[in-house]
Amino acid sequence: MASKKELQEALKDGVINYKEDQVKEASQTAVDEGYPALEMIMDGLAAGMEVVGDLYERHEYFVPEVLMCADALYGGLAILRPHVPKKDGGAIAQVVIGSIQGDVHDIGKNLVKMMFDVAGWQVYDLGRDVPLEKFVEEQLRTDAEVVAMSAMMTTTMLGMRKVIKMIKEKNPNVAIMLGGAPVTQDVAKLFGADGYAESAGNAVAEGIKMISRLREYEKKK
Amino acid sequence: MTKLTPIERVKRFFNREPVDKMPFFTGMGMVLFPAISKLGYKFPTIHRNAERLAYSGVESARMFNLDSVVIPYDMCWESEALGNKISLYEDSADILYPTIPTKKWQELSQVDITQHDIDHIMDKYPMNLIPKAIKIAKKEAPELALGAWQLGPFTQCGQTIELDKVLKAVFKERKRVEDILDKFSDMIINIGKALIDAGADFITLREPGVAADLLSPKTFKDLIQPRLTRILKAWRSPKVLHICGSTDPIAEMMWEVVKDSGAQAISFDIKNNLLESRKKLGNDAIILGNYDVFKLPCAEETTVEQAIEGIKKNVDSSVDAVWPGCDLWPAIKSENFKAMEKTAREYKTGPTPAVGRL
Repeated sequence: MASKKELQEALKDGVINYKEDQVKEASQTAVDEGYPALEMIMDGLAAGMEVVGDLYERHEYFVPEVLMCADALYGGLAILRPHVPKKDGGAIAQVVIGSIQGDVHDIGKNLVKMMFDVAGWQVYDLGRDVPLEKFVEEQLRTDAEVVAMSAMMTTTMLGMRKVIKMIKEKNPNVAIMLGGAPVTQDVAKLFGADGYAESAGNAVAEGIKMISRLREYEKKK
Repeated sequence: MTKLTPIERVKRFFNREPVDKMPFFTGMGMVLFPAISKLGYKFPTIHRNAERLAYSGVESARMFNLDSVVIPYDMCWESEALGNKISLYEDSADILYPTIPTKKWQELSQVDITQHDIDHIMDKYPMNLIPKAIKIAKKEAPELALGAWQLGPFTQCGQTIELDKVLKAVFKERKRVEDILDKFSDMIINIGKALIDAGADFITLREPGVAADLLSPKTFKDLIQPRLTRILKAWRSPKVLHICGSTDPIAEMMWEVVKDSGAQAISFDIKNNLLESRKKLGNDAIILGNYDVFKLPCAEETTVEQAIEGIKKNVDSSVDAVWPGCDLWPAIKSENFKAMEKTAREYKTGPTPAVGRL
C-alpha cells in the first residue's frame, strides 16, 4: 500500500514530467486508499505545478511543456476533485473567463483557467471568440469576483476595453484580469484593468504564485 | 536633395543604397479606417474582394503618406483555401478581422495536404484573389512600393490545426510535425513566388507563433530556423523576416536566417529590446519594427505630442526605417498618425546604421 507521501510525490513528479498516466493512476490509488483528496491536489498536483512554474521562469520549460504538464494535472484533477468534501473544497471565489470576440486563440486562457481550477475557484469558461456583452451578462448572472479576458492579437484587444467599461459601470468591485501577447502593462493600465499577464507563460507564473499562497493558507488552517 | 518616389525609396533602401529620407512603411497588415470610410466600404466587405482589397490598401497608404501598400490583411487565406470556413463578423459593429472558428482537422494525424494542394494552391479560392488585388493596386498606384506577406509554417500550421495541439506535438509527435511543417513550407514558397510574380516589390515572412515566450530557442534552432531559411531562400528579394513576441533570446538566430537566405531585413515587435538587438546584430543589419501600433496611433489618451515622442524614441533605438511592430490597427487617430509620419521623415536626416542618405 502506497503511503500518502509517496502518492503525493508520484502526483508531483507526474505533473512535472508530464506523465499523465502516472498522475491518473496515483490519483485513483489515493481515492481508493481514502486519502484526503484536497491534500493530494494541493501537495501533489499543485506542488508539481509550482515546480513547473519555476522551470518556466528559469526558461527550462516553455509553453509546449507547460501544456503537457497541464494535461497531466487535469488527468488527476478529474479523479480527485469529486472527492473533495464541500466544506474543504467549496468554491473560494468565482471567475468568468474567455477569449475576446474576434480571437480564436485560447492557450493562455486555458492555462489561467487551470490555475483557477486547481485553486478551487468556480470557473465559468465562456470559451473563445466571446461576444463582448456575454462577459457582462455572465458576470452579472454569477456575481463573479473576477473577470479574466484574453486576446492573442493586437487587432482584437480593443474589445477588452469596452468590456471593462461595461462591467465597471455596473459593478466597480469586480477585478478584471487581462492577458495575451499584445497586452502590455501600459495597455492594461489604459484600459482600467486590475491585473495583467503579458503571455500565457506569464499568466502561468502569476497563477502559480497564487496557488503557492493558497497552499500556504491551507497549511495554516 | 534628390526626391525619390516611395517605390524608389523602398527599393533603394532594401538595396542599401542611400535614400532621401527615412522610409515610413510596413510589410504587415495596414488597412486604415479613415481610408475605408472615405471609400464607403464596410470592414467585413474588403477582405474577399480583390478590388476593395486593392483600393483600400492604396487609399490607406496615400492618405497617410506611407511608402508602401500591403496586401492582404487577414491571416485566414491559406486555411480557407485548404477547406476551412471563415467568420467575417458581418453583423458586428466592431472592427474584427476574419477568423477560423472551427478547424476541419482536429488532430495532426488528420492533416491531409496533398502535392496537388501545394502545387495548385494559388488556383483555389480565395488565394486566386490576392494576385488580382496586387495587380490592381500596382496599376492604381505605381508610385508606391507593394508589400506582400506570408505566415511562416508553424503559425500557418496553427491556423489549420489548434495551436495547443501543434505545440504539444512538437514533443509528442516530432516527426509528424516536421512532415507537416515541410508541406506548409513548400506551400508558402509557392504562394510567395506567386505574389512576387504578381507584382509585389517586397515580401515579409511573419512567424509570430515561434517567439521565445512560446517555444524554446533550442526548438527554434532545430525545428523553425531551417524552414524559415529555406522559404526565404526560395523567394526573390527584397524579403524581410518578422517575428512577434519575445525575440531577444532568438534575435541572433533570426539574423542568421536573414543572412543565410539572402534576405534584406529583420523586423521585431514591441517586446524586443532594440538597442540590445542592434548591439548583437551590428550596424550591418537592417532593423525594422518595434513601435507600438496601439498606443501611439490609436489610444484615446495618446496626444499628438506623445505619438511624436514615441516615433522619436523608435528612431533613437537605431531602426533603419520607421515600420510598425505588428499590423497597424485600423482605427487610428488621423492626427496622431500624420504626426508620426512627419516626425519619421524629419526627426533625423542623417544616415541610419545600415542605410545612408543622399
